[in-house]
Amino acid sequence: MAAAIATAGAAPAGDKVDWRLATPLGLTYLVFFAAPFLILLGISFYADAEQTRLGLDSWLKFYTDRFYLKVIWDTLKLGIFAVIATTLLAYPLALVYRAASPTWQRVLLFIILMPLLTSVVIRTFAWIVILAREGVVNQTLMALGLTATPLNLLQTELGLVIALTQIEMPLMLLPLLTIMNQMDQNLVDASRALGASKWRTFFRVILPLTLPGWIAGATLVFASATTAFISQSVIGGARLVYLPSLIWQQSMVVYNWPFAAVASLTLLFTVLAGIMALSWLGRFARTT
Amino acid sequence: MTKLTRRDVLAGASALGLAGLAPRGASASGSMTAAIYPGTWEEAYRAVVAPALKRASGVDVAFDSLFAVDQVAKVRAARGVPPFDCFVLDPGPAAAARAAGLFEPIDSAKLTNAPKVPAGLITRDGVTCNAQVVGIAYNPKKFPTAPKSWTDLFQSPFVERLGLTGFQTTFGTVSLIEMCKAFGGSEANMEPIFTELKKAVSKVAAVAAPAAMPGLFQQGQIDVMYTNTNTVAILKGRGVDIAFAAPASGAITFQTTLHIVKGAENVANAHKYIDVAISAEVQNALQRSPYNMIPINKDVTYVDTLDIKSIDELAKMVTHDWTRINPQRAAWIERFNKEITK
Repeated sequence: MAAAIATAGAAPAGDKVDWRLATPLGLTYLVFFAAPFLILLGISFYADAEQTRLGLDSWLKFYTDRFYLKVIWDTLKLGIFAVIATTLLAYPLALVYRAASPTWQRVLLFIILMPLLTSVVIRTFAWIVILAREGVVNQTLMALGLTATPLNLLQTELGLVIALTQIEMPLMLLPLLTIMNQMDQNLVDASRALGASKWRTFFRVILPLTLPGWIAGATLVFASATTAFISQSVIGGARLVYLPSLIWQQSMVVYNWPFAAVASLTLLFTVLAGIMALSWLGRFARTT
Repeated sequence: MTKLTRRDVLAGASALGLAGLAPRGASASGSMTAAIYPGTWEEAYRAVVAPALKRASGVDVAFDSLFAVDQVAKVRAARGVPPFDCFVLDPGPAAAARAAGLFEPIDSAKLTNAPKVPAGLITRDGVTCNAQVVGIAYNPKKFPTAPKSWTDLFQSPFVERLGLTGFQTTFGTVSLIEMCKAFGGSEANMEPIFTELKKAVSKVAAVAAPAAMPGLFQQGQIDVMYTNTNTVAILKGRGVDIAFAAPASGAITFQTTLHIVKGAENVANAHKYIDVAISAEVQNALQRSPYNMIPINKDVTYVDTLDIKSIDELAKMVTHDWTRINPQRAAWIERFNKEITK
């Protein structure tokens, strides 16, 4: 057996073996990503739902209609809002985690990771229970006398951002905690010793040092929030139209695959544009 | 120890790889694969139909849990290599699948229970397994007086507690068509309902995805919706305050049908599966809680938990021609997106 494996695995030393090691991954990538992508691109150039003639009709319809342009903007905006909200909540929590004892760090890490152990469907439906007209938030506000009538929190962009903030929070926190743990405490202490306030220390020392972690987290949150079909459909409802639900509708209900392909490619490029913007921000931050 | 050569390892790996890439359709003798709606339908067919099929003919059925539109999309995408042997569809997706040539013919001679099903429910390519009845669902604790007509939904106090859903589903489409008729329109002229929807959208409690409606009703986010009796019975069974009201113009009915997929590997077993699904024993079990499915077998006496007394009532209900609806549906969906969103 060992001899057989040795025979199969024997390879000359040096850089020449690199392409062999990369072949399985390369082939997998080619078969399961590049090929479907090219098929999708091809389908988008059919002019009609029956895919009988070629043309740019689907692209023109999508990019000349203000409604669909607004859908793209709303999807982008949702991703940006989710990044902002998770950032505002993740940084204080990450700082608390960093200052905590090892025991408390383990407790906090468990709390942070717990949402990842629960299905996104269950988490989304839990938010219906929390945000609904007769849900926890409204019942509490009414019991405290802060509102006489229930607030409409579901089916709103605010409600969706609140839910996505909780759902996506681990994706922002984990890279941030990793980078914070690697940060040299002496730099923070030096800043404070030289008379900088806590805020100045945060903005001039902690923030620049943790920026790579934030960029990684922001990339994950942005990509996840813009493509969160379940949360967008269930919490946002039909009042809010985003690219994922539009793609589902066009491909599964209307069977207009060319138009769905255009919407799919648009979503892909929208997410990629966001990721590239964040990468550029990272490079810009490192050079300044 | 057995000596493994490189050839053996590669052959084994290839076999495993090919097995992993093989289509899911069951091809062994005495087995088949059927698509089934997720949720109650899947539970019902796993608990009732699968054991009955095994007892009756020794056939094992594997279920592929998919909504109707997903089934049609999956078979179309498979392009001649069916991922399952049997569809379960509502009229809209069934008409689309028929137009795309996705059905094998049904041989009614192979269905021993065919004489027990009313005329017209077995066609050349489909067999009705269940009737659905659509109307208004409301919370009787919030509204002691039920809405009497489709137009009532757009008046106070109902409109402020109404949950709207669009044309993505069969029940949503047919309900909106009937509302349109109540406001003077028709399938050919949907203008009146869009006018009313635009007026109502700022007042309604929710505009939601169809699948989210029962949850929103359960949570008190909405107190009025249009849905089928099956959903009402399920929510009632869970202790939700809900009642069904047939509008003055009549409740809507449509049929859920079983079809054999074009090019299916197990046509004979698919016939056996369909035959068992329409048998009196299975239909009688499926009408009971928690499944609450309206039977179509003439030998079945309806239980009183259904919002319908007998199969004869279905003949008096409102029906729709999906060959006329389907060509217009894409435009209605697009218009709903554009006009009934924020």
